[in-house]
Amino acid sequence: MSSDLHTLTGAYAADALSETERLAFERHLDACPACDQEVRELTETAARLGSVVALPPPAALWDRVRAEAAATRQPPGPTPLSGRGRRRFPPLLAAAAALLLVAAISVTVLNLGLPGQGGRSEGPVDLVAAVLSAPDARRIAAKPGPTGQVAVVVSRRRGQAVFEASGLPEVPAARTYQLWVVDRSGPRPAGLVEPGGAGKVTRLLEGRVTGSEQVAMTVERRGGAARPTSEPVVVVDLRA
Amino acid sequence: MARAREAPAARPGGDDTLDGLLALVARGDEQAFAELYQRVAAPVFGLVSKVVRNPSQSEEVTQEVFVELWRTASRFDPARGSARSWIMTCAHRRAVDRVRSSESAARRDDLAGRRDQGRPYDEVVEQVEASLEREHVRRGLDALTELQREAVVLAYYGGYTHREISELLGVPSGTVKTRLRDGLIRLRDHLGVDA
Repeated sequence: MSSDLHTLTGAYAADALSETERLAFERHLDACPACDQEVRELTETAARLGSVVALPPPAALWDRVRAEAAATRQPPGPTPLSGRGRRRFPPLLAAAAALLLVAAISVTVLNLGLPGQGGRSEGPVDLVAAVLSAPDARRIAAKPGPTGQVAVVVSRRRGQAVFEASGLPEVPAARTYQLWVVDRSGPRPAGLVEPGGAGKVTRLLEGRVTGSEQVAMTVERRGGAARPTSEPVVVVDLRA
Repeated sequence: MARAREAPAARPGGDDTLDGLLALVARGDEQAFAELYQRVAAPVFGLVSKVVRNPSQSEEVTQEVFVELWRTASRFDPARGSARSWIMTCAHRRAVDRVRSSESAARRDDLAGRRDQGRPYDEVVEQVEASLEREHVRRGLDALTELQREAVVLAYYGGYTHREISELLGVPSGTVKTRLRDGLIRLRDHLGVDA
């Protein structure tokens, strides 16, 4: 198996693996210094291919980037440079940026809301219990697959649902599972999932769930995303 | 890091100055972020546009990339590679995520379309203009076997998975994987990359 994995360095560096393959290979990289070194070199090589197709972006893009960054808090990191204040962005080109800022703030609020909930069994325990024991609770299981056993218990009357999983594969440190509730207006984030021992998770889905939605789980960058950026690894259709 | 703060003017374009900028960005330095944008917006937008192909989506993805750089700059580890490579990897990953999540049906049509249109390599060659780096990279691509080159170009510039490439070129996906590796290794040796 490992000799086969060794040949994936190129496909990994060129992002030509599926999400599942990529995660499996990243686990391999943690254990294989030779592949890790080769991946670094081939990633540098691929970046050179990227740099030669440079194309200046429209000038207005910077205003949008700046507005969104200004509204996006950075995770707590290194201590600030001593003796210097933060250098602020030059004043915004107000009108055009204002709307974008609003959009950006909602993303930020979401990002801020998520990391604190990175524990194992999220959501107050009694809320989870209340959903599981609700008289109208329904349990809908996903087909067993590579992501282990996954089910959602929904109480229509309470407007809440609980996500349950066991045997969830670990994701690399830079990534996380993220839940989404999908209805006709599209996916909305419903919380992050950090599997505990034996890949077990029980957590309340954030937001209102009435049983006419689908619940999906994707693998996202650590901290979560505002929209899914990859194909779901599992989907539970509550309408089933 | 104080050294890095003074460095940019002295070494324009050098990757070591990008390292310094990223370290400042990680501390919330917005001027450094503006400078970083100025320095790498064109390579990022160019690569994203190449993969995503739709102009307005390319702008959206480029914006996502820079906000991600802003948020995650503290995770950049200079011991693990250059800042430029880290940034381009982030851009490529985001671009690929976008085309794979939002356009899977359209992409399949596109896959068929590309087959009729001939070699995607030609598109790249058109864009490769007279700069030393471009010439250097073009020669590197030229030095690959045809299958290596097609695999590398379809994966990196096209954003295709090895399975899609296998379908497109009519070769087993195991062959695509090894050609990708062989191709990038040969390119690495041609470009004198060290990491």
